Amino acid sequence: MSELIVDGLTVRFAGLTALDAVDFAVPEGSVHAVIGPNGAGKSTCFNVLSGVYRATEGSVRFAGAELTALSPHKIAALGVARTFQNIALSSRQSVENNLMLGRHRLTRAGFASAGLRLPRARREDARHRGRVREIARFVGVSEYLDAPVGMLPYGVQKRVELARALAMEPSLLLLDEPVAGMNGDERRRMAEVIVAARADLGLSILLVEHDMGMVMKLADRVTVLDFGRRIADGTPDEVQRDPAVIRAYLGAAHTVDAGELAVTGETAADAARQKAEERA
Amino acid sequence: MSDAAQARQPSAKPASSKPASSNRSAALRRPSVPLAVVGAAVLLAFPFYLDSFWLQTGLFAISAAIGAIGLNLLTGATGQLSMGHAFFLAVGAYGYVFLAADSDTKLTGLGLPTPVAFAGAVVMAGIAGGLFSPIAGRLRGTYLGIASLALIFIGQHVLFNAESVTGGFNGRNVPPLELPGIVFDDSPELVVFNVPLGALERLWFLGLVLLALAAWLARGVLRGRPGRALNTIRDHEVAASVMGVPVARYRAGVFVLSSMYAGTAGALLALIFRRTVPEYFGMFLSLDYLAMIVIGGLGTAAGAVIGAIFVSLLPQLLTRYSDGLPLVAAPGSGGVSPAEASRILYGAAVVAVVLFLPGGLLGLWTRLRMVVTARRAPRTLPRLEKEEQPA
Repeated sequence: MSELIVDGLTVRFAGLTALDAVDFAVPEGSVHAVIGPNGAGKSTCFNVLSGVYRATEGSVRFAGAELTALSPHKIAALGVARTFQNIALSSRQSVENNLMLGRHRLTRAGFASAGLRLPRARREDARHRGRVREIARFVGVSEYLDAPVGMLPYGVQKRVELARALAMEPSLLLLDEPVAGMNGDERRRMAEVIVAARADLGLSILLVEHDMGMVMKLADRVTVLDFGRRIADGTPDEVQRDPAVIRAYLGAAHTVDAGELAVTGETAADAARQKAEERA
Repeated sequence: MSDAAQARQPSAKPASSKPASSNRSAALRRPSVPLAVVGAAVLLAFPFYLDSFWLQTGLFAISAAIGAIGLNLLTGATGQLSMGHAFFLAVGAYGYVFLAADSDTKLTGLGLPTPVAFAGAVVMAGIAGGLFSPIAGRLRGTYLGIASLALIFIGQHVLFNAESVTGGFNGRNVPPLELPGIVFDDSPELVVFNVPLGALERLWFLGLVLLALAAWLARGVLRGRPGRALNTIRDHEVAASVMGVPVARYRAGVFVLSSMYAGTAGALLALIFRRTVPEYFGMFLSLDYLAMIVIGGLGTAAGAVIGAIFVSLLPQLLTRYSDGLPLVAAPGSGGVSPAEASRILYGAAVVAVVLFLPGGLLGLWTRLRMVVTARRAPRTLPRLEKEEQPA
């Protein structure tokens, strides 16, 4: 029932086709990765799923609703949470207040009841703060609850953003490059949290990530995009051996040992340029 | 409140969590309770000692503070610039007069009981804000500022030309507010502790009550669920929407709320002036309000109050003491008038605050307080909740 089904999704920006008839499905409780070179359309895909961009064609179905027709806050109300590639927290607010924003869809207090501090609003606030502290502990940021987010190290901020998404009690979690720019230790911690979130909370996860080790370790299935097209879809093992994928990442002239996407000569940028020339 | 201070004063902490942190916030909070009591006592004593000039100045500051709190909810907390604040003040002021005054040969009025008229004026300002809210909900930040500029010009046009309601260029007399048991006017005479309490003295108490209520409500909104949504719309609109915040609805809602604050300030202002005049509600008034929240501190009720006091008192101080000040001439005598001088001064203050005091005067106060606290208790910054971290 709460399977995410992306069907023929196309997004065009004034002549540029960012996504071209992309299909994939994320069954309930699974981890699905979307990978691809820079500019492949991964973030565009996320922005359509969360309602930030409008799809030109195609459909996205989740929990019995057509997401392409909904505004972002209505998609959030269905239990779809996301994090951002570039951190999107309120840097002057405390970690706790940032996490409390995640409770927005689960709480009701409006201008009047918050302004008048009605008992209903106060009880609601206390109850949800308790849950937010649990989530902070789960993600390992509870020692920073009172600190303004802007004063925290980058890796911690990334985890705070994940905690904020988890605070929405989502059934589908979209993670846009959760370990980008992190050092090895931070990556390991983040991966642990994601694995634990999947195991303990039973949510589906859609993951965009450049770190192949991470993708191979976490994902059940992988969709590979290149220039907005789906060029492969399968288990991590299958995708790694797929010649189209190797071409997209490394250029046509290269063969690669199975299981390892190692750069042997040309860079991925060269490969991308080559492809662009082919298209022109 | 500044964010740092907000972080230190969580509203509802269960006893189990973070003993060290609640000690620290208790230590910070302790001096503020007697301070507030003393402050309230001093404020309540003012009418017994101050002459009418200072009382009127203080009342302007109180009214401005209410309006500035409203603007700070909109501009400071949500990042929505508004140049139309003066328009909603005018709606409040003229709304009260129209609802409260009796009709005569030239002017129309509804002659409602004055407390009803006062509440009605606030509601009218809210409705005016609601009528503009389809625009206020859709436009972001500075774009709203430009669009709301139109309100000023429309407002001025209507105030000057709808003579049967507004009295046109000459304005209209304001009927005094009459609550059961007390009339906010010079007669009937009222003497307390051998001090005759006239209209200004009585309005002072009303103003304080209204201001306290306005600040209390705004604080509740800002620290609660709506405040978090508004702050996130300011900091990161896309993040707010994907976290489930209906951005347009909140923008529209806070615009209506801020209009109601302006309406309250306008109605109070009318009671203080005892006459409403159209040219007062022009663009300069809107700019004054923006200066207040920037100087005082964006995004908090306390910042708005401090800024309102600063901006309201400065021209009055300069007028009062213009003889003794260099470069400031008496009004009407050529040279730089006190009003102009004060505009130049708080223009400079805005620049100084933006450059050197992010967080405004309130931020300066918060920083001083933190320095003092840190010196008094240097060992109160432990790493919290070590034992609760996952292994």
